[in-house]
Amino acid sequence: MSETYNFLFKFLVIGSAGTGKSCILHQFIENKFKEDSNHTIGVEFGSKVVNVGGKSVKLQIWDTAGQERFRSVTRSYYRGAAGALLVYDITSRETYNALTNWLTDARTLASPNIVIVLVGNKKDLEQEREVTFLEASRFAQENELLFLETSALTGENVEETFLKCARSILTKIESGELDPERMGSGIQYGDASLRRLNRQNTSTKRPDCQC
Amino acid sequence: MAQLKQKFKSLQNLIQKQPDSQKATKSPELEVNVTSAELTAEAVVVKEKAPVYDPQVDQEILDSIEKDYFDSQQFDASLFELEKLPEVGESLELGQIDSDRQRLRGQLQAVSKKVSDLVLQNHSAFVDELHRVIDLQESLQTATVVCKNGRRQLSSAKERFTTASLGLLANYKKRQKLVGLLNSMSTIKTLQRTDIRLREMLEEEDYPGAIQLCLECQKAASTFRHYKCISELSSKLQDTLEMIEEQLDVALSKTCGNFDMKYYDKVQTAYRLLGKTQTAMDQLHMHFTSAVHNTAFTIVLGYVELTAATSGSNFQKRQYNDLCKNVTPETFTSCLIDLCKALWEVMKSYHQTMEWHEQKDKSLEESGSGSTNVDAHFTRRYVKQKLEHGLSRIWGDVQQKVKTYILSTDLSYFKFDEFIDVLDIINRLIMIGEEFCGSKSEGLQDSIRKQSVNYFRNYHRARMDELKMFLENEAWQLCPVKANFSIMQLQEFKFLRSHAQQQRNIIATPTQSPEHTVPTNRPNYGFFTKFDNSSPFDLPAQEDEDEEKEDVMATNGYMEDRQLSVDSESDEDIPEELKQDFVDEQTGELPVKRPTKLPKSHSGSLKRQTKLGPVLTNTTLNVIRLIGKYAQMMSVLKPIAFDVIICMSQIFDYYLYTIYSFFGIDLGDVNELSLSNKLRTTLKRIKDNLIYEEQQVTPTTPGVPTVPTAEEKKDKFGQPYLSGMVDLSVRESLYGLAARVVAAESLVFLAEQFEYLQPTLDNMIPQAKKAFLQQFYSQTVTTAVEIRKPVYRTVAAKSIDYENLFNLMATTVKWDIKDIMSQHSSYVDRLLQEFHAFNSRLQEVSRRVPIPKVVEHILWEYCIRLSNRTFVEGYASAKKCTNEGRALMQLDFQQFLMKLEKLTDLRPIPDREYVEAYIKAYYLPEAQLELWVKDHREYSVKQLVSIVNCVDHKNKKARQRLINSIEETWNRR
Repeated sequence: MSETYNFLFKFLVIGSAGTGKSCILHQFIENKFKEDSNHTIGVEFGSKVVNVGGKSVKLQIWDTAGQERFRSVTRSYYRGAAGALLVYDITSRETYNALTNWLTDARTLASPNIVIVLVGNKKDLEQEREVTFLEASRFAQENELLFLETSALTGENVEETFLKCARSILTKIESGELDPERMGSGIQYGDASLRRLNRQNTSTKRPDCQC
Repeated sequence: MAQLKQKFKSLQNLIQKQPDSQKATKSPELEVNVTSAELTAEAVVVKEKAPVYDPQVDQEILDSIEKDYFDSQQFDASLFELEKLPEVGESLELGQIDSDRQRLRGQLQAVSKKVSDLVLQNHSAFVDELHRVIDLQESLQTATVVCKNGRRQLSSAKERFTTASLGLLANYKKRQKLVGLLNSMSTIKTLQRTDIRLREMLEEEDYPGAIQLCLECQKAASTFRHYKCISELSSKLQDTLEMIEEQLDVALSKTCGNFDMKYYDKVQTAYRLLGKTQTAMDQLHMHFTSAVHNTAFTIVLGYVELTAATSGSNFQKRQYNDLCKNVTPETFTSCLIDLCKALWEVMKSYHQTMEWHEQKDKSLEESGSGSTNVDAHFTRRYVKQKLEHGLSRIWGDVQQKVKTYILSTDLSYFKFDEFIDVLDIINRLIMIGEEFCGSKSEGLQDSIRKQSVNYFRNYHRARMDELKMFLENEAWQLCPVKANFSIMQLQEFKFLRSHAQQQRNIIATPTQSPEHTVPTNRPNYGFFTKFDNSSPFDLPAQEDEDEEKEDVMATNGYMEDRQLSVDSESDEDIPEELKQDFVDEQTGELPVKRPTKLPKSHSGSLKRQTKLGPVLTNTTLNVIRLIGKYAQMMSVLKPIAFDVIICMSQIFDYYLYTIYSFFGIDLGDVNELSLSNKLRTTLKRIKDNLIYEEQQVTPTTPGVPTVPTAEEKKDKFGQPYLSGMVDLSVRESLYGLAARVVAAESLVFLAEQFEYLQPTLDNMIPQAKKAFLQQFYSQTVTTAVEIRKPVYRTVAAKSIDYENLFNLMATTVKWDIKDIMSQHSSYVDRLLQEFHAFNSRLQEVSRRVPIPKVVEHILWEYCIRLSNRTFVEGYASAKKCTNEGRALMQLDFQQFLMKLEKLTDLRPIPDREYVEAYIKAYYLPEAQLELWVKDHREYSVKQLVSIVNCVDHKNKKARQRLINSIEETWNRR
């Protein structure tokens, strides 16, 4: 690929069906609202290079299907994710209530250091709100999550969400809390040679890996 | 004399004092009027007569009067007498004087008397005469008056009649002339005023009227040539006419942008009036050319200025090419649409112009008036030819503008949909061009090709990298889709339906427009008839497809909704007819009929498979979507369809290779034996052409591996690595059988989709390139199903411990027994145990992943074949064998078969003959054995030698000969 970047972060977008995960991703990448949205089948993918704190970071984002029947497929993508967007719909308490399960999944399946942003989507539907900002931010605090409310329709806070997550990961790398060299960190160095080095390491390591 | 007069006067007085004179009646007037001479004589007479009267004497006296007295001329009597007197010296004798006085008195008296007598004698005659004279005088006076009156009246008459009427006539004539002059003057005045009217008419755009008027004016002006003011006027008229022509030219140029029948009619009529129809045509073409240029320039300029508002540089003076480079990628598409729209307007105008002329010609022909005028006929032909000729020129200009525009922006980083939109627009333009002038639009095709190849190269590389990433992240989990899932339900494939629909639409609406009855090599897409007020570039592709799109969306949405609602439940609750509906709709819409296509080779297994729903992974789904996008690209991007096909085949190749490298080679080379030659070649080809080996690059410095060269990377892609999520080493899960099944079956599914798409793809690529597609299908797609063999063989080879079986056979069983055994050997039980375990694990796996029957059979087949080979190998390892031992072999194998048939429904048991024939060969007589050995090459030398050795009824010589021949033939191979 032609673009150059310093880091590559693997991101996940998870949450119940119909919360607008694909729309958030679409808004983030295409800068427009996806009108004719269908339910995601399995996992879809998008990537974008963003600038965070002077570093260009390529975000490799896996947009998972929220429907239960795809759970087995989507779970396999959790592994090695550096960041995750946990999306619920502010107009649906049901999707909010399911957060605990999603969170457990993410914490167990993805890397333990994963940075998770709680995202309350459909902010534009204020009249139909069922989950208050306060309640959700309390939940986020209790579970050590970042929190934002977004609107994939208007694009409000969408980019900010991804940037916030990336920024947090970058801070952790700089503080040494996260080691990009560690397997399954979901982080790769963007420099081509380093990337390749990484690849070779992983390929030799893999057979011994017992996970 | 005065003395005489005095004497005469005194005489006269004497006469008047005589009251008794007979002359009393005598009128005083008469006396006055007598001449002095007469009177003198009379007086003399009167004085002489008075005293004596004797006629005789009188006569004598009278005769004695000297002669000189009768000389009336210059006679002075006194003087005469005085002169007779003697000279003063002589003495005057009184008596003489007195006698002279007496004689003179007597003479006087005589004369007077005579005169008086004569007077008296002639008095009445005199009176009479006088009366008559008076009368005459009177009548003369009357005559004078009459004459005078007559003259007077005559002159007045003359005055009144002649002079008046002649004057009248003269005046009349003058008036006529003046009236004529007045008319001329007013005409001239009108002519001068016409100018204003002409201007008005021009403002009203009534050109024919204006020209007609102007021409009439000129004609009129020429008749008044003799007036001085006219020359100025006519030059002014000439100017006006020129101005009209100029305006007309402007008007003509206006028709280029927005054709209006009536307006054009006016303009043409005007030109005809000017007799400049041909010139008008030339002008028109010039205007069209400049219209194309100006339109393109204005639009691009507008966009450039819009986006570059800050820079403030002057774009007005830039070249078009240069300008195009300044269009930002964000505005590229909308600018292109506007550009096409505007150029379309110009072309439409041109088309309508032609139409107008054709109709005009036709109506002229119908009326029959056209044929008479050769000149007009010639002009019409000229116009027609010119117009026909202009078509390709205009299109060439349009093409050039659009091409320049397209090529000046790098589209390779456009989003796929955006790029497709761009291509769609250009293709539409090409179609328009084709309809417009039958052009193949090489320029546009070329620009499309260039941009497409460039774009596609980029796009494909990114997609391949993405595919690699997908594959490396893939956990080979089954992606649950509906049982009747079809790729046509995916949005990426909806274009195939709309495509078919569109094609039909185009075919179904052949234009009813009469102008195309003329045989041309132009296809008729009906662009020029359908888009009367709108443009084919309004809302790109949506106007046509909106309906279609919604339709597809509805179906799509519906299907996906169903998927959602059916989610955890089974699929059974979908009414059968709904499925039926869907399928019907599909087959109706599709160029290919799926049901006839698919079940050809693997009928049995597929039926079950469709019931289970297709086995595919998330990656497969993405690959299919990608294929859809590529196919969509092909349909839009016909010129590079072949390049796309190659890339599409690379996707499949890569997927195939990945599956093989993940799941097919974990047993190493051993497994290659299970590959068919075809598949082996294919895999080798893929590896050589598509995959770059990282190992090839020897790291010169440790830790800094060399980056593969650009050349290497150009068409090659990195070797993917299996995700750490997948563990292929656990025996209990049959060495990742679930993942293997999903992977291999997803490949098979993918291959099926490819086969399904084959006719569609075949239609999309040029004839010359079809061989590649055929080769791709025959070598790669159809061999894909063979990937099952290496993948499942691995499982089969690992799941049963054949080594142990062989060891058990070799170590625990004695074949040189003397008794017939009634109980089979224990190794069979051991083997069957393993098979049981395998079966239960298989069941376990199939609960998680639907294992197609065909896969199950392949697994069983491999296990059984491998077991059977082990059987033969084990039997061949017997150094000595008795008839009873042979019977035991049979018993063991029968036991195995019996139990096995309960485990699997695979019939016939593969390689059963292989084992049985080997056991039974023991019983063959010598000659037959020799033949048998020669015929059964499927056994190894060791096995054949073993059986020859076992047979005990042979003599040693013959046995050795047979062994030698076996080894010989084997060596020869």
